[in-house]
Amino acid sequence: MTTEDFSILLLTLRVAAISTICILPLGIGAAYLLARRTFPGRGLLETMLSLPLVLPPTAVGLVLLELLRRAGPIGRLLDAAGIEVLFTWKAVAIATAVMSFPLLVRPARVAFEEVDPRLPALARSLGVSRLSAFARVTLPLAWRGLASGTLLAFSRALGEFGATIIVAGNIPGRTQTLALAIFHRTQLGYDSAAMRLVALTAIIAFAAVGTTEWIERRRMRSRGSPA
Amino acid sequence: MIDLDLSLPLARFTLEVRTRLEGQAVAILGPSGSGKTSLLESIAGLRPQARGRLAIDDWVLVDSEKGVRIPPERRHLGYVPQDSLLFPHLSVAQNVRFGVQARRGDGAKLFDEAVAILEIEPLLARYPTTLSGGERQRVALARAIATRPRLLLLDEPLAAVDVAHRDRILPYLLRVRSEMRIPFLYVTHNAGEAEALASEAILIRAGKIVAQGSPAEILRPLSLAAADPAASFENVFEGKLEPLPASPGSARLHLPGGGALVVPLLHGAATGHAVYGIAPEDILISTAALARVSARNVFEGEVESVEHSGPDVLVRVRAASTSWRALLTSEATLDLELSPGKSVWIAVKTQAFRRLR
Repeated sequence: MTTEDFSILLLTLRVAAISTICILPLGIGAAYLLARRTFPGRGLLETMLSLPLVLPPTAVGLVLLELLRRAGPIGRLLDAAGIEVLFTWKAVAIATAVMSFPLLVRPARVAFEEVDPRLPALARSLGVSRLSAFARVTLPLAWRGLASGTLLAFSRALGEFGATIIVAGNIPGRTQTLALAIFHRTQLGYDSAAMRLVALTAIIAFAAVGTTEWIERRRMRSRGSPA
Repeated sequence: MIDLDLSLPLARFTLEVRTRLEGQAVAILGPSGSGKTSLLESIAGLRPQARGRLAIDDWVLVDSEKGVRIPPERRHLGYVPQDSLLFPHLSVAQNVRFGVQARRGDGAKLFDEAVAILEIEPLLARYPTTLSGGERQRVALARAIATRPRLLLLDEPLAAVDVAHRDRILPYLLRVRSEMRIPFLYVTHNAGEAEALASEAILIRAGKIVAQGSPAEILRPLSLAAADPAASFENVFEGKLEPLPASPGSARLHLPGGGALVVPLLHGAATGHAVYGIAPEDILISTAALARVSARNVFEGEVESVEHSGPDVLVRVRAASTSWRALLTSEATLDLELSPGKSVWIAVKTQAFRRLR
């Protein structure tokens, strides 16, 4: 592994971690709302959340580019605040956040749906506030689903390509993540250098998916035990 | 005192309950699906759709007209649901301590007291999935009383209990009533327990109160099937034990009305306060005087009522200064020509009594 490989790995891990941490509160909030509440526009929200799963990533990237460019609705505000986003690591983080969001929300929503709503209600009858009942009962009972959703989103963030290349380009040392670097090296004919990165991504993916499956198995087992 | 005027739309009917309950212990009777659980949940504050008025001792918890609705965490009511609903991720000790932390003050004392009264000390380190139905009910009851509620709301504490183990919650409820003096509302199918525990009862059918009064008044005109097909009519006797030197395995149980029963001494102290139960099918009825029988409990009495329910007949007999419920076949009832007012003898073997406390 060369120092260049290493810095690509570091950038990828850092951006994926930041994007995952940023979507956690919003993703858990959305999952909880979808699992527990009925409200107008719920169906629309569900569809919107699934869009990144079914649209081509490049299409999502293009929509993001339109929103974030200097004259775009969000870009204008960022520009006024002096924040540069497009073609920086921040654009990579935004693209991966949008693309991995549904993968966090789906398992998290199922996890919340599996918690008997009468448990937090009973907690409140014992004198604890709604928020405290959520923190002490709902969250610990749903944590395995939340953890596996987080890992799934993180894994997706590591490998994001289509949306990233449109909003962040492929700038070595700045926005070039593992997925982009593999593409780049293959294009240039450096196949063995590309294969090194493939091996790196395989190791990370293996660890992440393996951990997710382990958590899922434990969840199944705990549910299978005598009630 | 509980002032109730609540309405709550349910799937098949609207629950509409308007009454004033004065008793320290009130039994709520009625068939399955009649709205008993929804009523308890509305009082506990777990049904936000419930409207109307609810006050406990002049403390207004709900008054929809004035926009008052105290959230469940500030009602100080102890709710024990039918399926216990213990927190599965917490140990027994953590479950019992759950609400104690929120109440502050004498936390350790409240916890110790709840653990002692329900005798769950040996269970504290275990998790809910490893407990039997009766153990779970005791833990759920301990969790509720550890918060020192103003009122206990008990939803069929027996329903989830394995009858084969005869692992009953009743003796503990008697203890909570006598030692902690917490008033309670008690949903039950068991007429014997309603009579043993409650001073007042309401009967609910399809969301409406159809009768209110003392448990005996409510249960008397009620046929078995109307109360609930699965109803159990256990006889429960509370009294003072006196040792019988001649037979060390048994003792005499003196009832408050003056009668006395010979009961087995399987476990527990041989003197002092005790509670025994006997199943209605274990009581023998004869229309001729019984002499030279092996059963140690033979009493002359009078039939109070005869109620038919399918193949079985529930006969109430007044004997030994107390009321007995015996379950007979219709054939036997016809054979004996049983009717209210008739003189009969009842016989019960010592070993048929089960010690509840």
